[in-house]
Parts: sequence; structure tokens; C-alpha cells
Amino acid sequence: MFALMPVNIRLALRSLSRNRLRTLLTMLGMIIGVAAVLTMVALGTGARASVEGEVGSAGTKLVFVHSGNYIRGGASVGIEEGSGGADTLTLADMNAIKSEVQGIKFISPGLSTRTSVTVGATKAFAKIEGVAPAYSDAYSWDLKPGKMFEDNSSQAVVGRALADQLFGKGSNPVGKSMQIRDQVFEIVGVTSGESEDHKDTVFVPYQKLQSALGMQNIKEIVIAADKAGEASRIGEDVKKVLRKRHGQGNGAAKSYLSAQAGSGTSPDDFTVETQAAQALTKGLYTPAAAFALANLPKLDEVNLEEMADTLDHASDTMTALLASIAGVSLIVGGIGIMNIMLVSVTERTREIGLRVASGARSSDVAMQFLIEAVTLSVLGGLIGLVLGLVASRLIGWSLAWPVSVSFAAMGLAMGIAAAVGLVFGIYPARRASLLDPIDALRTE
Amino acid sequence: MSIISLQGLKKTYKLGDNIVQALAGVTLDIAQGEFVAITGPSGSGKSTMMHILGCLDRPTEGKYMLNGKDVSSLPRDELADIRNKQIGFVFQGFNLLPRTTAVENVEVPLLYTRPVMPAAERRERAMKALTAMGLQDRYDHHPNQLSGGQQQRVAIARALVNEPTLILADEPTGNLDTKTSIEVMRILQELREEKGITIVLITHEPDIAAYGTRIIAVRDGKILSDEPNTPRSTLEMAPEQIMVTAN
Repeated sequence: MFALMPVNIRLALRSLSRNRLRTLLTMLGMIIGVAAVLTMVALGTGARASVEGEVGSAGTKLVFVHSGNYIRGGASVGIEEGSGGADTLTLADMNAIKSEVQGIKFISPGLSTRTSVTVGATKAFAKIEGVAPAYSDAYSWDLKPGKMFEDNSSQAVVGRALADQLFGKGSNPVGKSMQIRDQVFEIVGVTSGESEDHKDTVFVPYQKLQSALGMQNIKEIVIAADKAGEASRIGEDVKKVLRKRHGQGNGAAKSYLSAQAGSGTSPDDFTVETQAAQALTKGLYTPAAAFALANLPKLDEVNLEEMADTLDHASDTMTALLASIAGVSLIVGGIGIMNIMLVSVTERTREIGLRVASGARSSDVAMQFLIEAVTLSVLGGLIGLVLGLVASRLIGWSLAWPVSVSFAAMGLAMGIAAAVGLVFGIYPARRASLLDPIDALRTE
Repeated sequence: MSIISLQGLKKTYKLGDNIVQALAGVTLDIAQGEFVAITGPSGSGKSTMMHILGCLDRPTEGKYMLNGKDVSSLPRDELADIRNKQIGFVFQGFNLLPRTTAVENVEVPLLYTRPVMPAAERRERAMKALTAMGLQDRYDHHPNQLSGGQQQRVAIARALVNEPTLILADEPTGNLDTKTSIEVMRILQELREEKGITIVLITHEPDIAAYGTRIIAVRDGKILSDEPNTPRSTLEMAPEQIMVTAN
């Protein structure tokens, strides 16, 4: 039955090429259906991949506590202004948070400065971050090469880009020393962390930076939550702890509405921000947008899961829309194929009669027409594939929507095309195979 | 030895509420190498007989032995194999596939030969059959590029390509002019004489039946007469031509 496949495919192609317009029109449903399937998968997986990338690189579990309060406001908008930058956070604050707030996995103090670093004759101006070893865990650094520095040691970790700049591209600076102001640090690791500006930063134990800057307090506390989705809750708990410690009223006025309601007392002297809020405000340089976002109530309760959900939801909607288009056009395309195959069986009754008289079994006849139907649908599928590739590129480009077309998606689309041909080809093929050869030969 | 043996063959059809008896008990033996012409007006049952002989239809009653094997009640697939290997059909309307070359038309029966025949062998055998019909130069012509006689010769090549023992020709000259008809009859006679192929010819024209070695007249589903015949020579002129000459 299958040994005649090449012959049958050749026969199918020939009979389809006899009536090109009809063939093309018949394939239209398949073309649109397969194009829609491909576009759907391309947009769906593209969106998912980008959301996953976002979630992966942003570190969904992080909460930042900054000293000072950068809330913008003023009498004109009825929002109390923040207190600006200040060294209001202490190590004691951090320890209190650590002991009082549940669900914290890693916590690290942070302070930074920008200064020059010297390696031999090379000098560079870089950001220096003083952190605890837990910082590495909070950001899930993979230190290649090397390891994280030890607490309160004269060791340092440098960002990849800075290491390239100081020691040459792709070099291994582990074991080398670098001078920061008047202190010498031994480099013990290189981080290629994607987050923020880790690439261009030198990380040293925070105690060293405190003493270098003559600071007692810290600028920042970085908290990694135990579980994703807890960041907002931890943020709220941190606020409570800090307000109590800093003697501020519970629920400081921040938003226009709460200010109007008169519920606030004095502004916080710190800012709690989740990674989500940071990710959202990142890149918004227009003052209006930054203002709107920075003052948006409960923005910091948006976590990346929710963001991911939203994006997922959007792509689900798009997918559902395309899936219904695909489904309908595939069914319509399949019915079109069935219809034309039934016409073809009728038109070729004599041919069938002759083949049967020449010794074709029912299964041979059925196979011939089935293969013709599948050839029709697969040809339509191929055209649809090309169309779908173009369409997904076009949509991706015009909507700035990430698309990804995998071979699996193309395989799926072609598989669906073949399946449609098979399903809708069975009935006409069966009709052909059941024709009475005597009647078939008699037909004029 | 008889290649065909029919015993009490009956065939009834249901046409609406009426039961039509197309064959009402036919008993007949045809020996190998005979050229049997079956004649009769339309509705006489000759077509039904030919369909049963060709294993395209099964009798309602009676027995049909082909080459010593009872084929009256074989399943469809086995009948298909018998048609493929033992029977060659020649039709009135040639039944060539349109827009398909002559050689590909001849190859059709070889497609259904089991075990499957390789493409190269199919082509070789089809070319051989075409050459035997003197059409080797036309192998890549489509039917519409061939004359009626050439088309029928392609059809005969197709009937012969699987080297059957029996050729069933159903009004093979119905669509041909007299001269070409004689040409086709000559080919059939030669096949019988040179290869010993048994030929059963269905026709309603007595002139054409005259080329057979035996003429069977059928009426109302029964054999009316069954006579041996001295086959008419294809070198003779057809009666129409004689008349034309006379005028």
C-alpha cells in the first residue's frame, strides 16, 4: 500500500497541477489556517520567552530599602514631598528587619561611591559597592571565575565589563590586586550578573567602604524573599519595622488621595521598593512619567509575577484569537478539500473504473485519493508556512511584540496541515474506493 | 483445457421494485486460444456476462471457473488480483487517462501488481508492449495527440502488459471507423494466433463478430446459439467498402 507512495504523490501533483486555480482556491483555507497557527505560536512563545527572560534577569524576589525619600510632590499637587537623600538606615535597622520580618532569605547592607580604581598603570573610574557576601546569593550570581569575597576582608569582586576594561577582554583577574583610593584589594571573583550595573562595578565588603568613606550608616538594604510573590508583603512589613524604629506615623501620606483624606502624619525617611517597581520605572526618563509612576499608590505591590501574569494574559488573549481564526480556517479549509476531492472523485469516475479493472484494490484507490487530499493540504500548509513567517515578522515588527519561530512550531503547523488533509480526505477516498467498477466504467 | 467454464450462471438485479434477470442460466466452456464473439442486442445480457467474465461482478447463482479456479465468490481483493494478472480489458471508449502519456497509460496495470514492481521494470515492460503495437515512437504522446486507432492500440498494449491469458474486448471497435476496426481485429487475431491468448469479444455488429472463431448469440440472458465460425480474414474488404466500390 505504501510502496506506491511515490507514484501516488506524482499522480496527485499532476492532477492538482491540471487545475491550478481550483487547487489554489481549495488550499486557501489551509494557507490561512496554517499561517494563523504559525503566527499564533510565534507570538505566544515569543511573549512567553520575553516574560520569562524578564522574570529571570530581574530577580523577582528582591526588595530594596533606600535611605531617604525621593517622593516628588509639593503644594501644587497636594502631595507631601519626601525628605530627599539622607543616611537614615543603620546596620541595626537591617538586623531588626532580619529578625522581625518573616520570609527573608538573604539580606545585605549596601553603600556605594564612585571613585578611581588602579591596576598597575591602568586607571579607571568606577562604581564601588560595599555589600555583604549575602548580596551574591540575593542576586544568584554565578561567579565565573572565582568566588564571593569573605566578610570584612580585603577581597573584591569585579563586574565582567570592568574586568575586561582593566585586564583585557576575557581575562581572568582572580588573584590579582587592585587599588581603590588608598586600599589594596585582592580580586577573588568576576560577576557577569546581568542585573542593573553590576557589570561595571567593584564589590567590596561594606565595612571597608564604610571606613573609607567615614560612614557609620548604610545607604541601602537589599532583601531577597524566600518565595517569589512575597516581595510586596515583605516590603510592607519592612516599612512597619522601620517606621516604628524611626518614629514615623503609620501609613505616611504619599498619595494624593490619602493626603486629601488627611490620614498621614510625617513622611518616611526611607523608601521601600520592590524589584517590580524598579523594573517598571526603569527607563522612564520623562519627568511626567517618572512622577506618575513614583507616586502611583501601591505600585510597589506589583510584583513581577503579576507583571508576568498580565503579559501572559495579553499573549493568551492574542493566542486565543489566533487559535480561533486558525481553527475556523482549518475546518473551512478541510471542508474545502473534502468538497473538491468529492468533485474530483466524480470527475474521475472512469479513471477509477479503469484502475479497478486493471487490478487496483479498493485500498489502492482509497490511498490514491487520500494522498491527493494530503498533498493538497500539505502544499497549502507550505504556502501558509511562508505566509505565517512573514506575518509573524510583520506583526512582531509593527507591534514591537517579540516573536520566536521554532522548528517545532513549523513542524506542528505542517503536522496539522497533513492531519487536516488526512481527516477530510478519508470520506472522499472511501467514496472512491467503494465505487462499483461497472458503473464507473459505464459513466460517460 | 477450458480456460472459462460457466455453469448455470444467473444474475439478477433489483431495479426499484422490479427484479431484472440479466442472466438466466448460462452454461458455457471456452477453451484456451479461442476467439469467441458474443453478440446480442442491448439488454440481451452480454454486458453482464462480460462483467462477470471480467471478475468485475459476481454471479447471483452458478459457478464461474477461470483457469480451473472457482472465482464466483472470491472476495474483492482477490478478484482485483485476478483481473490484474489474468485478464486484459479493452473498452469501447479506450478509457485512457487524459493528460497522461501513452507509456504511463500502459503502465497502469503494473502499478497494482503484487509484489510491487520497480519503476524501471514497469517502464521497460510498458515500452515492450507499446513496441509490440508499433507505437514505440509515440510513447510520450498524450491520448489527445493520438488517432482513435492509435488510442485503441495503446489500450490493447495496456491490456497485454501483464501478459494475461484472457482478453475481454467490450465493443472495441464501437468508436472506430471501418478501416481502423479491421486493424484492431487483425491485432486481436494475431494475439490469438501467435501467443495463444484467449479472446472474448462483445459486439452487437455481426461484421465484427465474424472475425471470431466462434460466435455466441445471446438473447434475454440466455444463449441463443453457439456456433464455430471460420474467421473472416482481415485482408478482406469490409462490406461498406465493397458497396462504396460498387457505386
